[in-house]
Amino acid sequence: MMTALLILHGFVAVALMGAITHQALAVCASSDARAPSFFRRFRAVPAAAFANAVIALYLLSALLGAIAYLSFKTDIQPFLERNRHWHALGFFDLKEDFIAIGLGILPAYWLCWRQSLPDHGGQARVALTVILAFIVWWSFLAGHVINNIRGFES
Amino acid sequence: MMSAPALRRFTFAYATAFAVIFVVVRAYGLALFTVYPAQGVVLMGTHRSRDVVAPAMGFLAPEMFFYGWVAYAAIGALVVAMVAALLPDRWFPLWRWCVWAVPATAMIACVYLTLPWFRL
Repeated sequence: MMTALLILHGFVAVALMGAITHQALAVCASSDARAPSFFRRFRAVPAAAFANAVIALYLLSALLGAIAYLSFKTDIQPFLERNRHWHALGFFDLKEDFIAIGLGILPAYWLCWRQSLPDHGGQARVALTVILAFIVWWSFLAGHVINNIRGFES
Repeated sequence: MMSAPALRRFTFAYATAFAVIFVVVRAYGLALFTVYPAQGVVLMGTHRSRDVVAPAMGFLAPEMFFYGWVAYAAIGALVVAMVAALLPDRWFPLWRWCVWAVPATAMIACVYLTLPWFRL
């Protein structure tokens, strides 16, 4: 059951990472969709269209992670402590702190991307998107490292 | 239904207050409730295993404060944001910066609070 939940959490996280990365790159350096290179076309997405999807995926991923966290605390963390994986635990601790702060900025992020309120701070929109992108990437990598240390069903 | 400026003050104050409150409760270990996943028990307030059982037996009842920290920050930020929504716009000259600079600073503070893991 927990393995299935973790795989689902991973799927949602990958979708979220793709959406927020598209959006962050588009908002930092927008490009022409007809551009010749892949990297330029990657940045040429309609960034505002990703906002609601990013919020929904972030909330879903946080919820699935919060459920899986119960099992982590009882089954995985003691193993990591016994084997002195202190740095991995530190990175995971940061992951949970960053995700919490990300939850707090979601309403402001949503407002900044609303089409009907375009004047409310382009700077804030860019900064919040970049912060969320950093949180998502950090969380994905930290979770991935923890998962690799312990492994499924081991 | 809130007006656009009030909604902006609400969301921006929420982001700022959430980050500040989360770091404070994280630093001082103030959880609204404590979860004991192994026992399936939730207790209101902050309860450390080592305070109720022998320290060497604490691993049998690992406690979780994270949910309690988030709950504290969410409720506290909601109160601050509701007050901010009622105040005039001129009281918030720095909101464009605070909304992202405060959470970013809070993340750096969390790195500082996590440093003990990296000294082991």
